[in-house]
Amino acid sequence: MTGGSVLLFRAARMVAPALVSLVAALIVAGVFIRLAGADPFTALASLFYGSTGLEPSGFNIFLLAQSLARATPLLLVGIAVSLGLRAGMFNIGAQGQMTLGALAAAIVGAAASRYPVSPLLLVPLLLGCAALAGAVWAAIPGWLRTWRGVHEVITTILFNYIAINLADYLVTYHLRDPASIGVQTREIARAVWLSPLVPGSGLTAGFYLALACTALFSIAMKRTVLGYEIRAVGLAPEAARVAGIAVSRIQVKAMAVSGALAGLAGALEVLSIHHRFLSGVSGSYGFDGIAVALLGGMNGLGVAVSALFFGCLLSGANYMQMQTSVPAAVGVIVQAVIIAGAGLRFMRFSRKEATS
Amino acid sequence: MWAEALFWAALYGAVPIVLAGLGGVISERSGVANIALEGFLLAGAFVGVWAGQQVPLIGVLAALALGGLLGLLHAFLTQKARLDHLVSGLAINLMAAGVTRFLSMRLFPSGIEVPTLHRAPFLILALCLAALITFVLYRTPFGLRLRAVGENPTSARTSGIDPLPIRYIAVSISGMLAALGGAYISLADVGTFSRDMSAGKGFVALAAVIFGKWKPLETTGGAVLFGFFYALQTQVQISGIRAKLFGIEWASPALLDSLPYVLTTIALVAFVGRAVAPRALGGTAE
Repeated sequence: MTGGSVLLFRAARMVAPALVSLVAALIVAGVFIRLAGADPFTALASLFYGSTGLEPSGFNIFLLAQSLARATPLLLVGIAVSLGLRAGMFNIGAQGQMTLGALAAAIVGAAASRYPVSPLLLVPLLLGCAALAGAVWAAIPGWLRTWRGVHEVITTILFNYIAINLADYLVTYHLRDPASIGVQTREIARAVWLSPLVPGSGLTAGFYLALACTALFSIAMKRTVLGYEIRAVGLAPEAARVAGIAVSRIQVKAMAVSGALAGLAGALEVLSIHHRFLSGVSGSYGFDGIAVALLGGMNGLGVAVSALFFGCLLSGANYMQMQTSVPAAVGVIVQAVIIAGAGLRFMRFSRKEATS
Repeated sequence: MWAEALFWAALYGAVPIVLAGLGGVISERSGVANIALEGFLLAGAFVGVWAGQQVPLIGVLAALALGGLLGLLHAFLTQKARLDHLVSGLAINLMAAGVTRFLSMRLFPSGIEVPTLHRAPFLILALCLAALITFVLYRTPFGLRLRAVGENPTSARTSGIDPLPIRYIAVSISGMLAALGGAYISLADVGTFSRDMSAGKGFVALAAVIFGKWKPLETTGGAVLFGFFYALQTQVQISGIRAKLFGIEWASPALLDSLPYVLTTIALVAFVGRAVAPRALGGTAE
């Protein structure tokens, strides 16, 4: 075989499982669309238009912008979960971390309206607070795992519920916006609103920040000592321990950074779209991010591609619901099928060996 | 009396957790990690209401059937397709959430109400199952084989035990139990279905399994404890106590809602130290 065709064969082998699960997902989607009483082709077509903005009538940049806006938190949560997984920690708590990060940003942002501080100082401060909130919320389960051996899958899931209820409580009783009816915090200072790149779309510079974080993640994993230690701990904790790496500390650190990224995602939602905290601000991003991480193979480039893909998918599903009244839940179902399919690839990165 | 109401509320609140927890024990003891209990619960709750609109009992049977099928799916994905157990569980949870949401939007857009079943039979059934499963697990050849498969499938195989069918059966049973728990919630407890109504009970059940060190009776005990946490929350809300201390409204609905999860976490942390999982948990039937 020539060198070129070997490469092509390798690329095909990498992409094939993803394609197969995609096709399977589309078939399943078609079935459900039929159940909803709509024509699968029209519905899937509107899904496509909504995702990419490529409508028959011309390019609709607004739709594309919405997809990218949707992809922003997915990107951040995707790297967050990937980082955890690379260290051998399964962070299912992104939803809670994102919620608390959003709350932190909203609180500081609203308080900031009283002080004329420059946005250049304020925005990083906001993001820092959000990252801190998320980091703490993830570090606790991480620490519980290293200290008492409680599996972080359960603690992070429980912490999701705790975070959401805690946030609800704080907003209802202590931080409520007196000027509005809903259960939400005050609006954040105008100075820190991120301006949309496409009017009305919610796509802001946050998208660039998310991309930058992804690139940073990639580089850090490959080129820094911490990245090396994380990978070592994830792939072979006992060997890492013998090599002198402080395994427990790395595990907690990885969870903390993972939580920080998720917190950041929450902050960006507040800064770019809602401009305040309201319940449900983290939506389903916490779990979607897991799918993104798995599908993307837990590396920077893969996560970027899959975040964009899922962002388009979910945004398109909403559009499809508007156009054809097929419930957007079809998007969630597609997601589940893709995870199941993509998980087959995940097997190679799994910290549990396939033999027992 | 206040305490008596709390006692019964705890027991009845524990029923879905006990059922799902027992399912978790069986599945994990055979070596298949099962975080899909939440999805099984939700699916059972939905199907129970959907199929049980005229005759609630049919809803229960439908839930059992669906739970069994979903269990088979999880077993297939983890053993044959070699999916990571956590990934498979996650996918099933998402699938259950998406499909139930989809179907409930299409079929009952304005909600649905069904006549409720009596709760007592479920409670009795749950407790009897706990005893039965303990007996089967420790005193029957099948139970022994199941435990062997969960500890070391390879040596089980050399002893002539094929791990694969045992795991399929075990996970299928766990699906049935969890779905039954879900059907209890929707048919006997509230009489309706609302989206995501399982509210994390499947995960609390898993916590009960770990808390109970993968043993059926201890798991049931843990489940009752966690049921107590849930009941505490509702009872305090009903009683209308207001407790304001240091400027914090301790008895507000939102904080109380978090109580079961906080207490469950504390219980896990305090008691998990000596828990040892089945050695072959999370692997394939090699």
